[in-house]
Amino acid sequence: MLSTRRLRVVAGLAVTAIAAVVAVSSGSSATNQATKLVIWADADRVPAVTQVANAWAAPKGVTVQVVQKNFGDIRSQLNTVAAETAPDVIVGAHDWVGELSANGSVLPLSPSAATKKQFPAYALNSFSYGIAVKKLYGAPVALENIALVTNTALAKVPTSFADMEKQALAAKKKTKAQVGIAVQQGSGGDAYHMYPFFSGLGGYIFGTNAVGNLDPSNIGVANAKFLKNAPLIDRWNKEALIRSQVAWDTGRDLFTKGKVAYYITGPWFLSDIQKSGVKYAISGFPQIVPGIKSVPFLGVQGFMVTKFSAPHGVESLAKDLVANYMMQPSAQLALALSNGRFPANLKAGAQVKDKDLKAFGKASAGGVPMPNIPQMASVWGDLGAAWVRSTKGAGAIPARRSFLGAQKSIAQKIG
Amino acid sequence: MTSVPIVADTAVPNPSLLARAIGFFSGPVGLAIKLILLGALNALAIWAIGVLLSEEKWIAALAIAAATLVIDLVYLVPSRRLIPLKFLVPGTVFLVAFVVIPIISNANIALSNWSTGHNLSKDEAIVAIEEVSLVAPADGTTYTATPATKDGELVLLLVDDVDGGLYVGSEDGLEPLPPEAARVDAGAIVAAEGYDVVQGEGLAGIDAALRGLVIPTGGDTFVRAEGLTLAIELQPTLEYDEATDTFTNIETGVVYKDNGEGSYESAAGEALEPGWRTYVGFENFSTILTDPLVRDPFVRVFVWTFSYAFLSVFIQFAIGLFLAIVLNKPDLKLQRIQRAFLVLPFAIPAFLSVLVWQGLLNDEFGVINETLGTSVPWLFDPTWAKVSCILVNVWIGFPYWFLVCTAALQAVPEELTEAARVDGAGPLQVFRRVTLPLLLVVTAPLLIASFAFNFNVFNNIYFLTGGGPYGVEQSVAGSTDILISYTYKLAFSAGQGAQYGLAAAVSIFIFFIVAGISAISFWRTKGLETIR
Repeated sequence: MLSTRRLRVVAGLAVTAIAAVVAVSSGSSATNQATKLVIWADADRVPAVTQVANAWAAPKGVTVQVVQKNFGDIRSQLNTVAAETAPDVIVGAHDWVGELSANGSVLPLSPSAATKKQFPAYALNSFSYGIAVKKLYGAPVALENIALVTNTALAKVPTSFADMEKQALAAKKKTKAQVGIAVQQGSGGDAYHMYPFFSGLGGYIFGTNAVGNLDPSNIGVANAKFLKNAPLIDRWNKEALIRSQVAWDTGRDLFTKGKVAYYITGPWFLSDIQKSGVKYAISGFPQIVPGIKSVPFLGVQGFMVTKFSAPHGVESLAKDLVANYMMQPSAQLALALSNGRFPANLKAGAQVKDKDLKAFGKASAGGVPMPNIPQMASVWGDLGAAWVRSTKGAGAIPARRSFLGAQKSIAQKIG
Repeated sequence: MTSVPIVADTAVPNPSLLARAIGFFSGPVGLAIKLILLGALNALAIWAIGVLLSEEKWIAALAIAAATLVIDLVYLVPSRRLIPLKFLVPGTVFLVAFVVIPIISNANIALSNWSTGHNLSKDEAIVAIEEVSLVAPADGTTYTATPATKDGELVLLLVDDVDGGLYVGSEDGLEPLPPEAARVDAGAIVAAEGYDVVQGEGLAGIDAALRGLVIPTGGDTFVRAEGLTLAIELQPTLEYDEATDTFTNIETGVVYKDNGEGSYESAAGEALEPGWRTYVGFENFSTILTDPLVRDPFVRVFVWTFSYAFLSVFIQFAIGLFLAIVLNKPDLKLQRIQRAFLVLPFAIPAFLSVLVWQGLLNDEFGVINETLGTSVPWLFDPTWAKVSCILVNVWIGFPYWFLVCTAALQAVPEELTEAARVDGAGPLQVFRRVTLPLLLVVTAPLLIASFAFNFNVFNNIYFLTGGGPYGVEQSVAGSTDILISYTYKLAFSAGQGAQYGLAAAVSIFIFFIVAGISAISFWRTKGLETIR
């Protein structure tokens, strides 16, 4: 009697298991039949990417799956994602390219010569990387940079830095604000937002070698020219022209509440500024020291094809989407405007009507693309910290000493 | 089965419920549930084994097969000796899945060179190096391409981008295509005699064939499709030799050898990108001990981490205990509401409180300095930043100790404190000699656990100060970095970005430090048990 019961048990088990396995395997074979392209994009871009990719995919019978990710997570998760769920195409920033290429995570692209002609050289350059052979790893889509925003009720657009300093301090006195110019920093520092000052005083991050590649052994954070001009930072700190206590939110509030005459920010705060009703003008940065231009960092965002597209059997499709379709003017316009950025494609750029976006574009003149070599990871923190040490008000450390320290520590980290 | 009459215990409400439940689940219903669950488990295991076998992961497949077999046997074979196992097996499975495997995989990473530039397998790296080494020759041609088939074989119909010449590209090479045999529209061939142009949904299925199509054009140059509408002439600059496992630069003759650390390196020390992930033994551990970049801040960070965790727990406990005693008076008005308010900080997600505190503590714009009329550099001065870190951590943690101490106070027998008072002890003496020791019996293990927890509260540091402020001589670790945030920075903001191997090695160090401190503390507090 016991043995028949055992038998029933074993039979029952076998039946359930087989049924489940059949269900699982039939389910997976059904999904294998359709060609699927997986794209990782950030929340702002998901609708535009979906629309553009579907328009491309429909005639080819390809299914597109757009997965929403935090922008910054895309970079790190690409290292650890399982191959089955990995993306074939990602959106990313140009300064990830060195790391992603050194990891072998993204594939080189070759758009046609006619397509490449439609892009500014720096946009393609900033997405190119290679020690011996430089290759393009991304299709540039959107350009972004910071600019000088003037509260025109408090001050005029400056004609020189001395003029800006005078007007900013006068406005500061009038509104009883803590600072004259709002530049977001915070206790951790923010090298991206202080770069116009840094470059205007003669600072640079990496020099270039004979081939024209960035050279991580040539660090210019405390070069002689910059050190000569660095005491200006100490003066600005003393007169509270700038202060690193201004964080991203306090900086925005200072400007939108009409407390400061000048604000250094990017297109991401445009809607807040417009909503506040403050009258504003967007321009480039005035020259601080004769002979040296004060320029912002340039950021280029674009799409890349991952190494996973080959095993997924969609490499040529992904390359067609990214290096061909997405680089055309109409797709560029849709993708860039979806999060309020200027399109990288020159023809698409000519169609932009928004005068603020155009003004940000103009302020990018002469700007420096953020270095895309992986060694840049060692720079951000130290450069930001150096600025904070020298602009924190009371107890600040003289800029010369502070930036020499940063230079030493960056060199040590890069090794 | 039913020989002993059950005596109903009236003190237990509804005593038959449990019995009824046991009866219900012991019958066919229980058997059915068991079968369904085991069946689902077996199905999952078979599916997983299938996937693992297809990826040639033999050991993992074998382990899953063995584990599933054990589980099936334990729950199906009616033997009395197996009954304890029915309770032990689920716990063991979870222990292995959530404790043992992560520790093994962490150790595994710590022994590897996994970092930026060392992320692929060696085979993948070889393919990637070959791909990166391809260049367009100086006189190279680009073509507008149209995939087509002839007799079931994929070819490319090509239009020279410069002179407009028409070609058919196959594995045999380039063949001119007579202009009258093809129709060209907008620079691309749209139809050709004798060829079936692949279009529409056909394009979705040709990826492998298209990538495999290499059209030789003399020497080592070849034409290859890039995407679906473009083909370019390419030439390798490096050549891989499988026999010697080396790359050779075709032009300069420089040889790149496997350097045993996951890269091909030339004699001059130039390494090819990308490298691959490989085992490097205890190199990461020796880096921690010898590299000044890692070693120098370690002691400073360790001392701060220890004081941070110790002071946080001590002050949290002191405030929690004080409030618990104050609010423990039975005749207190609104006792419940007061208690509820005190627990509030505990109910808010910690990282949110930290972000709010960061705003409050800002020394130019923060509410705290504004209200107090002070200008304390809460976050910008190394010492004050440390004070702020502890302050915020105390705010987040004291309600926990308030709850624990409130509960523990109830458990202190009234007779003991009563007796002490009768013997003439003052309130302070009663507290020090009777209440506190009894309280510590209950809370000491929790204090140790809390200390270990505070040793590793990444969020509280990361969101409040980000480890800053940084002194001029400080590089990877700022003045408020604790070991875990320092590890994070070491892993992600030094060198060339991610250094997973090194970070895993540091985390193993942290594990031993925390485990060591906990073990010592537990051993020391054993003395408290004798109070019972």
